[in-house]
Amino acid sequence: MEDAFVSVNNLSKTYVSKGETLNILCGTSFEVSEGELICLLGTSGSGKTTTLNILAGIDRPTSGEIFYNGQNINEWTLDYLYDYRLKEIGFIFQEFHLLEHLTSLENILVPLLLNDWEEDDARERSFNLLKQVGLVNKAMNLPNELSSGEKQRVCVARAIANSPSLLIADEPTGTLDSKTGDDIMKLLVGISKKSKMTMIYTTHDPYLTKIASRILVIQKGMIFESNVKNLEDVDYDNIIFEKNNKGEIL
Amino acid sequence: MKDVKRFNPPKKEIALHKKFFNILSFNLNLIFKNIRNRKRSTVIIILGLTFSLSILYTASIWSLTSQKIIADDYVESLDYEMYIESWQDDIEIYNEMYDFTALDSLVEQVDWIFPAIALFNYEDKNDTYEWYPEDNQEDMDNPLSLSNGFVITNRAMNRISLNLEIEGNSSMQSGEILISYTQAKQLEEIYNEEITPGYKINLAISRRIPNTDRGETQFQDFEIEDTTFENYTVAGIYKFVGHNTIIDRLVGGGATESAGTIFDSIFFPADVLTPYDFYRMTNSGGIFPRLLVKTNAQQLREQGISNMPDNLLALRDRIQVSYYHAYCYVLDHALAEMTNEYARAFGSTNLFVPTIATAVFLTFFSTQITIKKRREEISFLRSKGAASSQIIGIFFGEFFIISFISLILGIGVGILLSALIPSFGQNQLFNRSLFIQYFQEIEISPYDIEILTILILGSYLGLTLLNVIIYVRKDIQETMLVTQKGQWILELSVKILAFVLTVAGFLFFLLLEYRKLAENSLNYGLSLISASYRALYLFIAVLFFSCYFLSLGVNFILRNMKTIYNRIFKKTGFFIQKNMLRIRKSFTELTFFTVLIVCLLTTIIIVRSTSIHNNNIEDDYRQGADLRIQSTIPVNITKFENQIQSIEGVQNALGFYSIKASVRLYDIEVFGIDPLKFLQIGRWIEPSLVGMSAETALTQLANNPLGVIMSKFLVERFRKNIGDPITIQDIRGGTYEPLILSAIINSAPGLGVSHGYDPKMNRQVTEWVLVNKEIIRGLGINNGTLFLAATEENADIEYISEEIKKINPFAVINPEKINPDYIGFFIREHIPPANNILLVGAIFVNIIGIVYIFISTDFILEQRRKENAVLLALGGKQSKVRKSIVNEILSFITTSFAIGIPVGFLASMVTLTFIKPLLITREVVPMTIHINALILIVMIISLFAASLIGIIPIIRKQMKYEIVHELRAIV
Repeated sequence: MEDAFVSVNNLSKTYVSKGETLNILCGTSFEVSEGELICLLGTSGSGKTTTLNILAGIDRPTSGEIFYNGQNINEWTLDYLYDYRLKEIGFIFQEFHLLEHLTSLENILVPLLLNDWEEDDARERSFNLLKQVGLVNKAMNLPNELSSGEKQRVCVARAIANSPSLLIADEPTGTLDSKTGDDIMKLLVGISKKSKMTMIYTTHDPYLTKIASRILVIQKGMIFESNVKNLEDVDYDNIIFEKNNKGEIL
Repeated sequence: MKDVKRFNPPKKEIALHKKFFNILSFNLNLIFKNIRNRKRSTVIIILGLTFSLSILYTASIWSLTSQKIIADDYVESLDYEMYIESWQDDIEIYNEMYDFTALDSLVEQVDWIFPAIALFNYEDKNDTYEWYPEDNQEDMDNPLSLSNGFVITNRAMNRISLNLEIEGNSSMQSGEILISYTQAKQLEEIYNEEITPGYKINLAISRRIPNTDRGETQFQDFEIEDTTFENYTVAGIYKFVGHNTIIDRLVGGGATESAGTIFDSIFFPADVLTPYDFYRMTNSGGIFPRLLVKTNAQQLREQGISNMPDNLLALRDRIQVSYYHAYCYVLDHALAEMTNEYARAFGSTNLFVPTIATAVFLTFFSTQITIKKRREEISFLRSKGAASSQIIGIFFGEFFIISFISLILGIGVGILLSALIPSFGQNQLFNRSLFIQYFQEIEISPYDIEILTILILGSYLGLTLLNVIIYVRKDIQETMLVTQKGQWILELSVKILAFVLTVAGFLFFLLLEYRKLAENSLNYGLSLISASYRALYLFIAVLFFSCYFLSLGVNFILRNMKTIYNRIFKKTGFFIQKNMLRIRKSFTELTFFTVLIVCLLTTIIIVRSTSIHNNNIEDDYRQGADLRIQSTIPVNITKFENQIQSIEGVQNALGFYSIKASVRLYDIEVFGIDPLKFLQIGRWIEPSLVGMSAETALTQLANNPLGVIMSKFLVERFRKNIGDPITIQDIRGGTYEPLILSAIINSAPGLGVSHGYDPKMNRQVTEWVLVNKEIIRGLGINNGTLFLAATEENADIEYISEEIKKINPFAVINPEKINPDYIGFFIREHIPPANNILLVGAIFVNIIGIVYIFISTDFILEQRRKENAVLLALGGKQSKVRKSIVNEILSFITTSFAIGIPVGFLASMVTLTFIKPLLITREVVPMTIHINALILIVMIISLFAASLIGIIPIIRKQMKYEIVHELRAIV
């Protein structure tokens, strides 16, 4: 467990809504090694986003442990957690969450300035990142002047601005058409490989699993390891996983 | 074709009225639910509306009630309002006039008064005894003593005694008289015995005053015949303490006049005199009787307090038209003074207008914010198929109910406050009986209530409805950017046009109307007071517009201070500048309101401190010197001056010789002074004299024994120049030889303004001149009542006062009120002074400002929950985000304050050009701006600090939201 880059033990998350208890995650465990490209596959409401939020330190689990580089992030103070989110994690939201009053360049500037960069240096780096995602000509455009694909590119650039070790993408293609989705995925994989970043992304689209080095399937709050490499043609909604005695899917 | 039998479900018939009630009950349920769900904003709106309405209702109810109470109380405090005399010496004509006057609906009572001359120590004088001049008569070791004598009914005596301080009994029985303190002292010297109530005295009555110009200076010229009375008992000894009184005008004298006769009179009881005695006293030919007229206060104020002088003058006209030979002296001056003072006192409540205006704006902005917050609800209702009219109807219903609740509360609070505020009166202590009196006599004008309700609630509901309509329409046409831009330009153009028109209107009114009135007014009378508050209304509108346009400028500055933000706030500078750029509309409102509040607060505080400072300087100037000594009885001036000067700590003392006279048609008071002493003792100011210094004028007067110093008005009226001769007439002892005009004067320390009436001074005439004291001494006048003295530095004023009191127990030293009968003091018992109103206004403005900043900041930060969640998700530290928000608010508050304070300073300078009539009776000392730095700093810092401290919980609340929850909410 100590060797794993990210290790999740017995993770559970419960919400109480209108007096009703909802178990989103039910004591699940998995591990991620450094440099891996993990796909977390699951239907809507299966707990994908909750898992990523907990991994990114945005949300806290009800119980369980998350080890990042051998350290239990649940035991960290808030300040540690902020630093973790800022420096170690790059988060790409499905709904972009770009700041509407800032231009593309300025949106990328935000995490750098939060990380105490000098503004001039930060601008230069942001510009380079925009170049990297192919959006130099849209540097001064506001989010409402960008297409969904362009917005997601800005999100990618913003996520990698502080060179995180772990890139987390929550359904990065969820709101995009398949062509644009493919482009974004290619961009993400390219960046993660080039920067040797570990990446975890979620999707409900089996087609997007093929680029992952490993697939984790999430169902009813439980995460299972899948040995199936290509789930493209599988009707995964009706799949029945068989588990071995270690809990792994056969 | 085969017939197809269609299934038609039976329609459920609903009666029209049922349908109507169903819709009504559904909408009402929705409206009440909405009100319940927005408790905080509902409470704020109700509070704002209730506050605005109740202050206006209070002003109306309080105004009506207090004018009734003040008028009744004041009229009751006057002895009479009129006396009537005729040059026809026929008692039948007097009887006719009596009946005519008594039957007038305005009149409550008419009393007779028969004037005569009383002579004491006449017994051993023969007919050729030389009595004139009185203070240098034939036998000064055993002199004759003269006094006014009045035969008067006990009913009239009861009214006159309102102005007398009586030792003994004022109600006289047969064989009793009431004598003055001065007369008692003179008789003590003559008879060498103490005169106390119960003393037996002999006197003679003359109904003829000998004419000294014709050489009638002997005892026989009184034509006393057999009208002598022996063994009369002194029932009481009185001192005259009145001011606004008919008896004072009838008899003459009082206050500063050295030769005043009211000080020196006696009264006989008409009711208990034997017919023979009554005949002997009143019917020996010579002085005509007078009729004293007391009016009915309720009738007098029938058409409002401002009509009282006119009503009185109308009564005079009715009498004079019916009796061409009648002369009516009317105390209209006192009533006019009362109406002026009342108007001033009430006019000063207009100083609340800025506070009410800000409260209305606060309410309106709160409503706007509520509507903005409910844009999603509008969209939802529309998506469910609600028509625009239905949505508008629901909103209208909500705000109508809120307005109705505010109306009920406003009326209740208004009634309560209009009884409560005056019951705190001048000494700020609760007076239960005044509270009950106000409550019992409360006067409500339904017309006023209606107008004020329409003004506040009508405009509020209208603007709110307009806002809802705009939002409902925006929902449909959100993407029509071109239209929005066009609308923005149109809106701005309309605002600029309105601003230009308001400024033009204000300047037109100020420079033409107000200035013309001010230049032609001696005192700040009714017309100028009402012009003053009209100017105030216009200026408040100008100020609102100015602050709006300034806030646009402030926002421009705030948006373009990137370098400064980076330098001051380092890493958070970027976020601050970007936030300033984006929240343009909300920010314009916030900066507008903050600039306005700071500006108003500064203006109110500066106007208040200037008013207080000016009042203090004026009071010092009116007092005249380190010591002002007013003797309630005339004393020998030279002797008293020497006695005062001999007291340790006193440098110099000056007595004023005075006498009444006239310059052509103008009644004047001639003050005789030692010019060099006056120069040394008096607190002279720069504009005391016209075109020369006090030193030059008084040195010239000292060197020229026939010099006279006069008001600019008289000099201009008679087209005189310095060095020209000018004659003073009707002075006792005959016509003067011409005096030489040596200087022109505006005012003098201790005497006040030389032309015009200063109600705070205890003078009756509106004009005075200064001459060398030797001129008046030459007329045989050696006594006076007014003295000024200069003391050494660090002199013990208390000790000096005690010593003066030992010399003259009737001396009042440095009186708190030079004229205790000043009607302003009376009115102030019912209406707080302008300074208190300004202070309360400032506190309210402060509170309103703080509440608005809270509401607005809360709203703006609420809009930013998404951004804050994203920033935190990206790794932004809570402390950093919080710091960024605090710095941002700090920037806008500091900038708004930095703009608002100087604008407030400028506004106060403009305000002080037209607001003087609401603050002072007339400008004796030129009003110069004065800033009470302490109060200004305290108010500004409290607003600043309260805004910042109050925002912390709002920011903390924003930070407490869970990131995940916020991010999910955005989806």
